[in-house]
Amino acid sequence: MSTEIKSPTFPESVADGTIANWVKKEGDYVKQDEVIAEIETDKVVLEVVAPFDGVVSKVLKPAGETVLSAELIAEFTKEKIDQPSKAPDNEAIGEVEKEEVAENSNEIKEPPLKHGPAVKKLLKEHDLNEDDIKGSGKNGRLTKADLVNHLDAPVIEDEHKSVSSSASLSSSSPERSEERVPMSRLRSTIANRLLTVKQETAMLTTFNEVDLKPVKDMRVKYGDDFQAEHGVKLGFMGFFVLAAVQALKKFPVVNASIDGSDIVYHGYQDIGVAVSTDRGLVVPVIRDAGSLRIADVEKSILDFSDKARHGKLSISEMQGGTFTISNGGVFGSLLSTPILNAPQTAILGMHTIQDRPVAIDGEIVIRPMMYLALSYDHRLLDGKEAVSFLIAIKDQLESPEKLLLNL
Amino acid sequence: MFDVIVIGSGPAGYVAAIRASQLGLKTACIEKSSSNNKPKLGGTCLNIGCIPSKALLDSSHRYADALNHFSDHGIKVSKPSIDISQMMERKNKIVSQLTSGVAGLLKANKVSQIIGNAKIIDSNNVEVSNEDNIELLKTKNIIIATGSMPIDIPVAKVDNKNIVDSTGALEFKKVPKTLGVIGAGIIGLELGSVWSRLGSKVTILEAMDDFLPMADSKISDDVFKEFNKQGLNINLNCKVTAAKSNKENVTVNFNKNGNQSELIFDKLIVAVGRKPYTNNLFDKNCNLSIDQNGFIPVNDFCETQIKNIWAVGDVVRGPMLAHKASEEGIMVAERIAGNHIKMEYDLVPSVIYTHPEVAWVGQNEKELSDAGVEFKTGSFPFAASGRALATGESTGFVKVIADKRTDTILGVHAFGPSAADIVQQGVVAMEFGASAEDLGLTIFSHPTVSEALHEAALAVNEQAIHIGNNKK
Repeated sequence: MSTEIKSPTFPESVADGTIANWVKKEGDYVKQDEVIAEIETDKVVLEVVAPFDGVVSKVLKPAGETVLSAELIAEFTKEKIDQPSKAPDNEAIGEVEKEEVAENSNEIKEPPLKHGPAVKKLLKEHDLNEDDIKGSGKNGRLTKADLVNHLDAPVIEDEHKSVSSSASLSSSSPERSEERVPMSRLRSTIANRLLTVKQETAMLTTFNEVDLKPVKDMRVKYGDDFQAEHGVKLGFMGFFVLAAVQALKKFPVVNASIDGSDIVYHGYQDIGVAVSTDRGLVVPVIRDAGSLRIADVEKSILDFSDKARHGKLSISEMQGGTFTISNGGVFGSLLSTPILNAPQTAILGMHTIQDRPVAIDGEIVIRPMMYLALSYDHRLLDGKEAVSFLIAIKDQLESPEKLLLNL
Repeated sequence: MFDVIVIGSGPAGYVAAIRASQLGLKTACIEKSSSNNKPKLGGTCLNIGCIPSKALLDSSHRYADALNHFSDHGIKVSKPSIDISQMMERKNKIVSQLTSGVAGLLKANKVSQIIGNAKIIDSNNVEVSNEDNIELLKTKNIIIATGSMPIDIPVAKVDNKNIVDSTGALEFKKVPKTLGVIGAGIIGLELGSVWSRLGSKVTILEAMDDFLPMADSKISDDVFKEFNKQGLNINLNCKVTAAKSNKENVTVNFNKNGNQSELIFDKLIVAVGRKPYTNNLFDKNCNLSIDQNGFIPVNDFCETQIKNIWAVGDVVRGPMLAHKASEEGIMVAERIAGNHIKMEYDLVPSVIYTHPEVAWVGQNEKELSDAGVEFKTGSFPFAASGRALATGESTGFVKVIADKRTDTILGVHAFGPSAADIVQQGVVAMEFGASAEDLGLTIFSHPTVSEALHEAALAVNEQAIHIGNNKK
């Protein structure tokens, strides 16, 4: 009795995905809800789980293949397949088997695809391994063009083995090696979006600086109580998100976006918070931040960071957003010009906090200072609004009581 | 409430309706009533296009064969004669068999067949009116598949007596002694061929100075020569300025290279192309607009500007071909059902069903040169094909064009026996991204005319066996 395993139903905005990894391989015994495969889309990694206890009887879409929404990717059987080394007879053997699986999981054997005659000939002639070449034909079949391109520009996809370029071949110097790896989908999506924004908006950046002593004092004074009450640390982000929300309410155009020849004003503040992961930058969105308290904001951010690091953010958690905050400060950046998150009109860049001498009331004092950057789309925002908006944020952070009084 | 209402039952509409119903969608197909209050299912293709024209092309071809070529084989027959009414009856029988077949298919697939004139109120409401009543149907999706109709030109108004369009040209009661055809496109060549074989003296007047500009130029040149040899007197650069019909005949005035001329024909066929048909389709409040040529603007997925309204077939951009229309119908039905199907617009084959046939798929040499693509070609003449010679059909050739570096097949062009079926093999190969070498390494039955494709593919890489290879 065999059941079809399909890729998840992708939302409208996601055209297709790539099988990132078969966690389980053909013939593996899996428990219900165990992850069988991971599918990488432009936005997130989706997990495919076992529908019930059973065996992955046939992998139809090997790793690296493009899959569509709800497309058949594997067959699954309830009965244990008659493979003595794979089918566990009792719990204890099952455990051992699982460990072995984990070790061997990168040795997934792809089901053979029938290639055209020219492809077979070239594979033989050049002693090529078909698994090293990505097929562009139907269902990932290799075409002669794939092989010709492969031979013209040799690429070895094994990450540990570096490829000598033609230049280094002649110099034969081992340290002048190059490595080519294909961009992940997330990376190439990021690359495309950033480039599009650069080309299609009139983006520029305005700067200011903020004295964070009042916020810092508040954290020292109430940090412990806050954590005891809300179960989450009182960080800086909560203040920044709330300050941004107040400023957005004062300057609704910063919260707007351009759609064709229309300006769309959003009656809500959905704040994207850029989170760095080892796969790349993702931007989960805090919904209706206008109605949240600092504790709510801190909790959502903690939740998002956890999910992002484990690749568990859902697509819906990253869609939309009317304004974005990016914190380069966590990596020590002193000053930067963030790139807009289209179709949003502005993005706030936070930076590292440094003790710096500043003049206050005619006295030189040392204060924890942070540079703020606001990149904005000049098509929609005039300099006056952008600068005033950034000053509004600065004012609130320097007098946090204003956050309470909605000033 | 329907999931899908399809307007039109031609090759786009009935195919879309059947697939939608197969996918579990509640589907209706609307066709307008004709004279006897029975709908003519099957659209232009089945009723007044592909099918009846092929019936007459085949009948006339057999007649011409008996008249001109039987003796080559040593078959002696007394001079054959034509019974036009029987020829037409055969044609009509085929048409009615196929159209009632469509009704049966719709029924078997549980598609509701609705008779009447459809008017789109908005994306969820379609009004259907016939002699008896007006009904408002609710639906989640609308597929427009209303097709096309012949273009009429003011200088040669169709009177359905002596001046006819492609529909009337399938209904002549007797063979006209002299026949004029305006337009040397696919329709003009096919209909001109039918009546020329049956004995008409045919003159084709084409306004453009380019003959079959969409085909590969070597093919156009050969086709031009062959058809003139067959008796189609094709005149390029002839702009018709007037056509006057009287009881017996039509006087046609035209301007050829600046000189005014006049010819008198028994009948005149106007075959200058077809235009999308959307008459009375939209309610005044429906915001769906059409472009300046009457087409409904759509994207590659056949989505119109209005969500949940789709348009397929002749009523949208692209070649007016039944197989293109059907595939669009399939794509839309699948997409409505949530399946991500995409159409390979680069691989829509074109065919002219003359004798010999003309067919092609993909790009031709000029298109590739214009696009700056480096390519290589291989050709094989049917004169070198054993089977073609045995059949006495050795006119024409097959040409394969491939990317110079990767060898990927970019186009297959054929003029000759079974050209359409030969090109179809190229379509399958191209769908799988095949290279010329792939076809070269594939076994072809001997002796077949398809071997010409094999040899042409081999010739791309200078490996043809049965002709000399020109070292480039």
